[in-house]
Amino acid sequence: MRFPTRSVLPGVVAAVVLASGTAACTYKNSDTASGGRAAPDARTGGGAELVDGSRTKVALVPGGAHPYFQPWKAAVTGARKTYGLGAVTFDETAEWDQQKQNNLLSTLAARGYNSFGVFGVSPTDINSTFADLRSQGFPVASLGSCPAGDKDEADFCLSTDVELAAYKASKAAIEAMGGRGTLVHLTGNNVDANTQLRIKGVAQAVKETGGKVKLLQTITDIDTDLQTAQKAVSDLMAAKGDRITGIVATAYNPAVAAADAVSTSGSKAKVIAIDDDAKILSGIKQGTVTATVVQNPVGQAEIGTWALALLQTEQCTVRDPGVEVDSGSFVVDKANVSDYDKARQKKTAQLKTEFADKILSCG
Amino acid sequence: MTTSISPPDTVPEEKAAGHRMPFWVNQRLGLLVLVVALSVLFGVLRPAFLDQRLVLFPLLRDVATLTVVALAQMVALSVGHMNLAVGRMAAFGAMFAGLGYDRLGLPMPAGLLLCLAAGAAIGAVTGWLIARTGVSSFVVTLAMDFALLGLVSLLYSALTEDAAFTTRPSGIDELRSYSLADICAGPVCGSPAVPQIAQFTVLAMVGLGFLYGCTRIGRELLLTGANPAAAELSGIPTGRRVLLAHTLSGLLAALAGFMAAAGTGTFRASIGNDFMLPSFLGAVLGGTLLTGGVVSVLGTLLGTALVGVIRKGLDLLGVGLESLNIYLGCVLLLALSADRIRTVVSYRKVVRET
Repeated sequence: MRFPTRSVLPGVVAAVVLASGTAACTYKNSDTASGGRAAPDARTGGGAELVDGSRTKVALVPGGAHPYFQPWKAAVTGARKTYGLGAVTFDETAEWDQQKQNNLLSTLAARGYNSFGVFGVSPTDINSTFADLRSQGFPVASLGSCPAGDKDEADFCLSTDVELAAYKASKAAIEAMGGRGTLVHLTGNNVDANTQLRIKGVAQAVKETGGKVKLLQTITDIDTDLQTAQKAVSDLMAAKGDRITGIVATAYNPAVAAADAVSTSGSKAKVIAIDDDAKILSGIKQGTVTATVVQNPVGQAEIGTWALALLQTEQCTVRDPGVEVDSGSFVVDKANVSDYDKARQKKTAQLKTEFADKILSCG
Repeated sequence: MTTSISPPDTVPEEKAAGHRMPFWVNQRLGLLVLVVALSVLFGVLRPAFLDQRLVLFPLLRDVATLTVVALAQMVALSVGHMNLAVGRMAAFGAMFAGLGYDRLGLPMPAGLLLCLAAGAAIGAVTGWLIARTGVSSFVVTLAMDFALLGLVSLLYSALTEDAAFTTRPSGIDELRSYSLADICAGPVCGSPAVPQIAQFTVLAMVGLGFLYGCTRIGRELLLTGANPAAAELSGIPTGRRVLLAHTLSGLLAALAGFMAAAGTGTFRASIGNDFMLPSFLGAVLGGTLLTGGVVSVLGTLLGTALVGVIRKGLDLLGVGLESLNIYLGCVLLLALSADRIRTVVSYRKVVRET
């Protein structure tokens, strides 16, 4: 086949025309801005106690459907009653697509919602979304995950410090392994900034053992669903099960799959899971799961909704916009499996005090 | 614009009747009516549907990107092939643009050119493999999809900290957020509902409309799709036409990848993850045949717009995740059934009259 000049030429012409289009056709002559926040007369001097939230409509928008976010639903509904908010919604139809999430947020704004708590699908892109929402006057909280990089365009971020949580989980695994052996890390989407942070957290804990613990393998991209995670863990146990002395799972589905696999295969590997799925808690009680790192989604939704209402009514402002607050992570083992929720509630109460005293500035 | 080459075994009666079909049987017109009718319906049910800035602008930005994705599929379908790697080709092209901006400090148009060149190159490799080996496009593009999935993820992991190129060249934020309202001639400005990024979609549509409607190469592409053996016997270099179709498909996929990256903010590996189904949906709803030989550039836009309008309307009605896709499927089925009923009724009418 000789070089197909006639075939390539239309493509080259098309490319040049398209590229010239970018240079020629972006003009801006006007600015659009509107207000999602209440009128200034809403300032009432009520401090951090919400005076009138009847005009506040809060939307909590996770990146997609995931068991982790289910507590948000009850928490935001509870917050509506507690604070007398105008309306609340929990919308999980973003389907893990940033563009769909952006569209969903603008649709919710069109439906009258005026405060947004968002778990961004893409940590590297979500700042653009936050900047868009804030430019339209809406208060925005980054809940459950902070944007990648040093900058946060949201009013505040209330999230688990994922690197710290992964580090804590690995330290717990290493301790359970007796300080030596081989560890496997099971996690989510490899091309996600949060996964990279979790990988760093695990690597740091392994590094601190001075070579006594080896990271045998990091298996990524298995948090899409439980079936994918189960297959990956089953393959892992079949191929390397006898060499594995510890498994640290920093994503939900791999954690459940690892708990299942260890209990059914009779492996001696110590499993450190994440979150408090019933299977994981039951595994801790039975001894097949050594510990789990529990996060605080209820606190994220409760405190996030309350703080958003204070910002929307202009009763408060954020002292340091873009501030990142750790919502807490707790290692739960056999000793505290029955009463760990108390620690979580205590952390949520602490967060409220922290927001009232240090994060927010209220008139 | 619909362009077709009738296969030699077309039923003569059908062909004759086709010339006498009333204007309202036109599939593009049917789609347009559906899109407008649904927009009016959603507008009545939820007046916020007609909010230009919060609803129509993001809707049209989405439609603009997905139309280019569907055009990429349409070009492959025109030669009777398919491109299952359309999403990964988008990610592959976008990766080169991100690399150009992040590492080489390229200006936006140069990065776009690099993106398009990368997309065209990977498309050309795919086309060459299909033409040279004779292996089905389904198999080759599926293999390409897997290969690019691994390659793109690997390169992003190796080259970036956060699995994304976050450097934004000058002008890309404007491309993302500006509308025709930002272009004024004296006191008259354009609509804030129409995003400026749609310029790429318009250029791609005009280019493809010209290619398929006005050039010999376009007709040869369609004949290659309608009947490869006849095309070969007619002296058409079918191998090169297959190569061209896949090159253009790769180029358009890369363009869609660039638009998606510009629309969300950064160049990342997950761009194009959800492109494959919309690519077929837009093209096929618009009248492009899966078997090749018939394409519709305008229909592809309308098919994509129909899906976008339905989804946006359901979002505005507050339909939850459990029901959203069920309703989307039902509305699409009803829309297509109505279109089919319209065609059958009109065909019978024409038959009765003759």
